Amino acid sequence: MTKLSILEFPDPRLTTVAADVESFDESLQKLVRDMTETMYAAKGIGLAATQVNVHKRLLVLDISENQDQPRVYINPQILSSSGEQEYEEGCLSVPGIYANVKRAENILIKAQDSDGIDFEEELEGLHAVCVQHEMDHLIGRLFVDYLSPLKKNMVKKKLEKQRKVAAKEAEEHLAI
Amino acid sequence: MSKNKKNLQNPRLAAIKALSEVLDDRRNLGDCEALSRLEDDRDKAFARNLTYGVLRWLGSLEWLAAKLLDKPLKKREVAVQRLVLLGLQQLWHDHTASHAAVNETAECARLLGKPWAVGLINAVLRRFQRERESLLGRMEQAGKQFAHPDWLLQKFKDDWPVQWQDIVEANNLQAPLWLRINRLKADETALRNRLETAGFEVSDHEFARDAIRISPAAAVTKIPGFEEGWLSVQDPAAQLARDLLAPQPGDRILDACAAPGGKTAHLLESCQGIELTVLDKQEQRIGQIMQNLDRLGLTAETITADASAPETWWTGKTFHKILLDAPCSATGVIRRHPEIKWLRNNGQVDAVVQTQANLLDALWPLLEPGGLLVYATCSILKCENSHQIHQFLKRRKDAVAEVPALECGVDSPEGRQILPGEAGMDGFFYAVLRKSF
Repeated sequence: MTKLSILEFPDPRLTTVAADVESFDESLQKLVRDMTETMYAAKGIGLAATQVNVHKRLLVLDISENQDQPRVYINPQILSSSGEQEYEEGCLSVPGIYANVKRAENILIKAQDSDGIDFEEELEGLHAVCVQHEMDHLIGRLFVDYLSPLKKNMVKKKLEKQRKVAAKEAEEHLAI
Repeated sequence: MSKNKKNLQNPRLAAIKALSEVLDDRRNLGDCEALSRLEDDRDKAFARNLTYGVLRWLGSLEWLAAKLLDKPLKKREVAVQRLVLLGLQQLWHDHTASHAAVNETAECARLLGKPWAVGLINAVLRRFQRERESLLGRMEQAGKQFAHPDWLLQKFKDDWPVQWQDIVEANNLQAPLWLRINRLKADETALRNRLETAGFEVSDHEFARDAIRISPAAAVTKIPGFEEGWLSVQDPAAQLARDLLAPQPGDRILDACAAPGGKTAHLLESCQGIELTVLDKQEQRIGQIMQNLDRLGLTAETITADASAPETWWTGKTFHKILLDAPCSATGVIRRHPEIKWLRNNGQVDAVVQTQANLLDALWPLLEPGGLLVYATCSILKCENSHQIHQFLKRRKDAVAEVPALECGVDSPEGRQILPGEAGMDGFFYAVLRKSF
């Protein structure tokens, strides 16, 4: 398995709209395995293909406490949704930033598994939040897009600062 | 998507996770990751107390929750259910400011991604505050104030018709912190000075000679002298095993189910010249014993083997003394491990009684004539203790039960039962069996 690198906001590639998955071949299986590994390694609970610069409609997630129940959703569609919930979300592409986002409380989704078999699922709570968050990636949307322009700009600056500090630290380590 | 790590540092969420680790994953309370990863010491103590409190009062809290909820929560909403229990525990037993307890507990539902439950939890907890007295009164009328499962309560009533209420009460109290002084390494006066300087109050035990009690309770690593092997944490009731075995130089002694090695270490600390064989079934637990002995500056021959199958490990050399600290229901240490009440069942008790009988039968032939077998359990159920020994004495005509030389406990022809709380001790049973010539 290969650990993939994750694109970070404000990388323009994160705004790409993904295309449907059409062939369920070995390369897709490998992508699912690699994405799952990448998600676990990054201590995430969900990852969309967009985030690893693959612009196909698939996402992996694992919201279990013990991180031992990986799931994959290919070509997901929301059939219906109801209610509202607010959850403090974070994103592997927007590291260290957390913000409350309002989303549907319950969703009914249709998707395919890694063999291309259709299934439907009723989701709620964190599971529903996570699927909606990842599905946003597939249409090029990030959770910070729900924030006011002012706040979004603050996030951008904060991340730039974080990166600068990290780069400086790396440099200092090299110097030593 | 990623979760906010701050959640991991929320003590109430950590308590919820710890409850799941104990009740769903059957993990020992002391090993809960959710508690150990809390960085702030105060948060850790708070979360730990909450978790213990909920496990201690679980049956009663469930009863209260059922009365307060209009309809039961769905099975899959176990986290919300536990948040309700957590809130009730705080309002009922903790001295947390009520307002904070209600709000912070309810807000945890949002962090769990269940915002719909915030209002519900708020309402339930506020209703408890309003109807507290009448609810607690009704709980007593329903006999649910003991917070013990029915099957276990019945067993206590059957076995201890006079004492059962005292037992239940003692089980629901927090246990004191008892230490055992390692006299090989530590001078008692010096140790006391160090403990008192560190702010602990130190007191003696009535008759366990190496036991001292310190308060307030603290994590072992925070107790001065622990790392250097001056002391161990051990209840005085467990320390009495040494008195009954009375190790003498030259004694060949078998410690049959030794882990975690507290009694093993005590024997070695008391008498240098003994030839001690230390046995446990699990490799991992043998490792734990070695680690403990190492810290205390002691060594012993350890064997990973099943004591009830001597053919697999016994060299043929008889022992002068055997300590059989048998696997048991642990019903004597409920005050330290409240989860025992909810994780055990009647069937498990029956199974462990059989295991104990097998161990007694298998080990008895390894004892030389005139030798001594001390049978110990941290149980207070007669089926594991006096009845077990009664049956054994019927099977083995060469076994005689001596009166244990102890200044405590309820006497029976078979042995001595210490009930939880007596002289600040855990519930323990000892039988002293002499093999006739």
